[in-house]
Amino acid sequence: MLYIYQTSCISPQPFPLAINNFNTDITVAHHGIMVVEPDYADIPVNILRRMGKAVRMGVGAALPIIAAHRNIDGIVIGTANGSMEDSIKFLNQIVDYKEGMLTPTNFVQSTPNAVAAQLALLSENKLYNTTHVHRGLAFENALLDVMMLCADQPQSQFLLGGLDEISTYNHAIEYLGGWYKSDSIDTNKLYQSTSVGTIAGEGASMFLVGQNPSGAIAKVSAILSLHAEDMGEVADGLSRFLIANDIDPNAIDTLILGENGDIRFQHFYQNVARAFPLSNQLRYKHLCGEYTTASSFALSLASLLINCENVPSHLYKDNGKAKGTINNILLYNTFKGLQHSFIYVQSANDMAINAT
Amino acid sequence: MEHTALKNELKTHIIQYLNLKIEPEEIKDDQPLFGEGLGLDSIDSIELIVLLDRNYGIKIEDPKEGRKILVDVNTMVDYIEKNRKK
Repeated sequence: MLYIYQTSCISPQPFPLAINNFNTDITVAHHGIMVVEPDYADIPVNILRRMGKAVRMGVGAALPIIAAHRNIDGIVIGTANGSMEDSIKFLNQIVDYKEGMLTPTNFVQSTPNAVAAQLALLSENKLYNTTHVHRGLAFENALLDVMMLCADQPQSQFLLGGLDEISTYNHAIEYLGGWYKSDSIDTNKLYQSTSVGTIAGEGASMFLVGQNPSGAIAKVSAILSLHAEDMGEVADGLSRFLIANDIDPNAIDTLILGENGDIRFQHFYQNVARAFPLSNQLRYKHLCGEYTTASSFALSLASLLINCENVPSHLYKDNGKAKGTINNILLYNTFKGLQHSFIYVQSANDMAINAT
Repeated sequence: MEHTALKNELKTHIIQYLNLKIEPEEIKDDQPLFGEGLGLDSIDSIELIVLLDRNYGIKIEDPKEGRKILVDVNTMVDYIEKNRKK
């Protein structure tokens, strides 16, 4: 059990993320949608100028939480690629200058743990500091890590985050690999697409989490991540997940699916949705695009949706069924049909859950 | 290269290497690079050493020598003019 007290998200949506302020008319450029970066007024100028976008996003999203909670007991970040743009710059320098003198900034900023490290430096936090880099399950592993930490240290509060950027080089490789749509597409028509590929996205989502229910806005009750190419394995995993955590499928009022418009993975989402015939189905990748840690955006969204009664219609897959207050959400996401995760998010108010 | 042109070129390089959000003309020739002037720090000093190596073929290996060179644009240009290899 993990309680969420505060979220902060830098994404292609206006910052800060708010249910009543989504932008559904996002310009798709170079097969992707970019984050809307705030002015980062809280980051010292001399530090900001050295940061690549991933580091800027991560630090910028985390600082409002750190500023409000100085006594965080650790920082746990999930990112598949970290600051890939700086990594490529650094690697290119090695070639271009024949392994001669290299600039330190790109090297310092290029490692995936640069965000967690920068946050530790800025907040003078010398406690637990870890970055998980498990591709499409990087954020899920960070979440699992924090859940175990909190079980051991019930009085502690941690900063949890997930982030990834669109980098020029990595984006080109992924595009050539057929992961992004070659035709120009409107984000509003993403789910109607019958072609392969998706729209690239990026973002950074941060959470203040702990074990104390007081002051919480939502809680993560269970998580399962698995590697599988076969739909049957995913279905088995889901069954085990529901049984192990004593979850009644009919109690889940909302299913948030990571559908991304890639026809190759639609059957995974359809199959999972069939297990929850009474649940409303929501989608979100028209708001943030597809990236390795997009499930962190989904958790931000879920945290905002808990106890929400006026869900924007564009989030619904089928205009919604019996609409009401959202208390029990299951997130399902797959990355490239190889990595899958289920995250069970509930209202932090047990009375609300029991009333559903 | 003419003295003033070299100064302008160096200022452009400094801005590019250090990702400063200013224009070349905003850097005064005698403005201290570190501390109260441009406010650069130790990581920037390494970037400037790399800048001199890549653009002018100058290798600074003695930190004491570096402190005398990396004072302001004037001192850097004087050193470049006397020691450049490209």
